[in-house]
Amino acid sequence: MKRFGLALILSLIILSLAAAAPAQTQSTLEKIKNSGVFTIGVRNASPPFSFINKQNERAGFSNDLAELIHKAIEKKLGKQVKMEMKETSPATRIALLTSMSVDLITETMTDTRPRRDSVDFSLTYFVTGADFIVKKGSPIKGTKDIAGKRIGTQQGSTNERVLREKYTQAQLVTFPDQAAAFMALQQGKLDAYCNDAIQLWGLKYKSATPDQWVVVGDWISYEPYGFAMRKNDSDFRAVVNNALMEAIEGEEYFKLYEKWFGTKSDVPYPMNQTFKTFLLYQVVPK
Amino acid sequence: MIFGFLGMTYEFKWSVLWAQPHLTWLIDGLLTTLRLASISWCIAVLLGIVFGAMRTVPFRPVRVVATAYVEFFRNVPLLVWLFFWYFGAPEAFPEPVRQWFIRHGIEFWSAVAGISVYHGARFAEVIRAGIQAIPRTQLEAGLSSGLSVAATYRLIIIPIALRLIVPPATNESLNLLKNTSLAMTIGVAELTFAARQIETYTAKAVEALTSAAFIYLVLCLSISSVMNWLEGKFAIPGLIARGTGAEH
Repeated sequence: MKRFGLALILSLIILSLAAAAPAQTQSTLEKIKNSGVFTIGVRNASPPFSFINKQNERAGFSNDLAELIHKAIEKKLGKQVKMEMKETSPATRIALLTSMSVDLITETMTDTRPRRDSVDFSLTYFVTGADFIVKKGSPIKGTKDIAGKRIGTQQGSTNERVLREKYTQAQLVTFPDQAAAFMALQQGKLDAYCNDAIQLWGLKYKSATPDQWVVVGDWISYEPYGFAMRKNDSDFRAVVNNALMEAIEGEEYFKLYEKWFGTKSDVPYPMNQTFKTFLLYQVVPK
Repeated sequence: MIFGFLGMTYEFKWSVLWAQPHLTWLIDGLLTTLRLASISWCIAVLLGIVFGAMRTVPFRPVRVVATAYVEFFRNVPLLVWLFFWYFGAPEAFPEPVRQWFIRHGIEFWSAVAGISVYHGARFAEVIRAGIQAIPRTQLEAGLSSGLSVAATYRLIIIPIALRLIVPPATNESLNLLKNTSLAMTIGVAELTFAARQIETYTAKAVEALTSAAFIYLVLCLSISSVMNWLEGKFAIPGLIARGTGAEH
């Protein structure tokens, strides 16, 4: 009995050594080259960045930008790789990234300094701020009206953090994802839902009754979006950033922006001149 | 540190657990878990005794109702039930009632409803097994002494059944405590939620989740030792055959 136990423990140690040894020290480009798969983290219900459309396909502005990065990776490695999409959420995405389940988070992740302790970010590819979405006719017009009201956020998001730290009078209710939070808002369980302004516009226009919802507020936080990747991986980061810079320089970015935020799109959101300048200044010379 | 030889670069930082506000979150989460578990447990045991007994009475329509309750509620995953009780059930109430619920902790009470009804069905099965383990002769003896069916159940059958079911009931109680962690999906800020919160704020996943695991372990071990003590204290001498100590 004792000998069997000892043998079991020894074999477990050997197995874990064998399994763990190659996994952790590969760089992302090596991993993609060896496995032939480039996995990105996406969302199911965050229009227009990353969502599942009416034809039941994955689509979105972030997804399309990720496709450009995919092509750049193929060019860099000189071989075909498959791009796979895996669903992530604010609470799970960093863990999925560091455990190597996904290689790049391409949904709606805000670049912040605390997060840079755990992951690296690409260039900023979109800027927005946090606002509130309320039912039409609601008395809430901004942060001075939210004291004592039930405000919904997503678990693990920057919006939850801002409300928890700066607006302690508001009653915070958190949900695992946007779909659950929006359903609670529709059912009257929330007085307002707080998320990045552009995503609230996306929610409004994608809902069954867009006229029933109003986006209010004045950007209670600054939310620059970046693609997140594992730390200490400068080669991969260079590939991602170069792909984004090529897209901004070569007009691909602006074409995609027009597709998802232009006047004919589902979520019209004209490009701010300051933002355009910021984008162009991020493109360092060739 | 200790995982260095595996090639991992994780840095342990256990102090995040007792730094404020993380410690407050953990304590609040623990208190919410205990509240949720104790209220749900009381309701579930009540439902379990009622429906478990109903499944064994010699009167068919009552048995059918009880069987319907048990099969309906235990055969759907608890997570689905929680979504139903939070997103579905409140819609059936008139608007003023709903608004009152919303202002008074609807997330917590939906979780209580979901967990207690689900575990009530499971307790009913445990209690039914206990009752049916009692020989039919006890019921006949009670009836022939002049007691009604209800009185026989109340004075003879159920007290014995309660003693017989302590082990499986302990199992179900521990399941109930662990299932309270599902309430985080409908916004209840209990212990698992608090641990995830610490994890997202500090990115120290191992520390945060180990603390939650440790606290659940301590809670469950305490419950099982209390149940063991109860079993000993209320045992009816001669009711259960006790074997001699096992020989290795």
